[in-house]
Amino acid sequence: MTFTGAIGAACMFPLRAIINLCVALRIHPNLLTFIGVLFNVAAAVALAVGRFVTAGVIMIVANIFDFIDGKVARELHIETAFGGFWDSVMDRFSDISLFIGLIYLYAQLGRTDYVMVTALSMMFAVMTSYTRARAESIIPKCKVGFMERPERIVLFMIGAFTNRMAAVLWVIGVLSVVSVADRIFYTWRELRTVEAPQ
Amino acid sequence: VKRLLLMPAVVVWNALFWTYERATWQYDLMVITILAFVWLTPPGWLGDPTASGPGLIQWILEKIR
Repeated sequence: MTFTGAIGAACMFPLRAIINLCVALRIHPNLLTFIGVLFNVAAAVALAVGRFVTAGVIMIVANIFDFIDGKVARELHIETAFGGFWDSVMDRFSDISLFIGLIYLYAQLGRTDYVMVTALSMMFAVMTSYTRARAESIIPKCKVGFMERPERIVLFMIGAFTNRMAAVLWVIGVLSVVSVADRIFYTWRELRTVEAPQ
Repeated sequence: VKRLLLMPAVVVWNALFWTYERATWQYDLMVITILAFVWLTPPGWLGDPTASGPGLIQWILEKIR
């Protein structure tokens, strides 16, 4: 087993208990998604005031909600197309909130360089999701590129807990640019194959 | 020889044009590389507005000096 696989398996133990509790209480998954966004906004506020460890703790709680909503929906047999759409839209709100929190913090500190780094990272993080969503409306699958939402979230937590947010922003920014490029290239290649004259 | 010479280019291409799943050894390697960058790079090199402490590389360089 790989070490990231082992970490994932270890995290599943407490999450399994939380999923079972939500299923037993029949909590609607769309509500779980929404609560996750509210926690992410709270984490953004903590980032904005420079309380990184607090932000990290709130992000963990937020992402528990984010992680379990789909699984609760499956176990309650109430998966809907709207649920998937709602989840994706709320994910974007959560993502953007965290970046805005950091933009506010760096603006307060008078660091326009890091305001720009954060803003560009935010732009490419959103574009990473958009390119895949748009690509998958014209090709069956576009799962290429490293920097997806789970990676971003874990990196944000690492940056918050270890106070290395600048390095994290550089990683998110650069790898998001590469991921967007990957998806554009992959879609172009797939469509070229499909649309090639017979 | 040609294959050996092309290997670094192939590695760079595969790292950039990422198609691997999570929980593969390639994914682990990428994660280790990222964590090394985040934790080892001295915050001063990046002009980190909030970080405290020198970071491992800076600490080693200071010890050597």
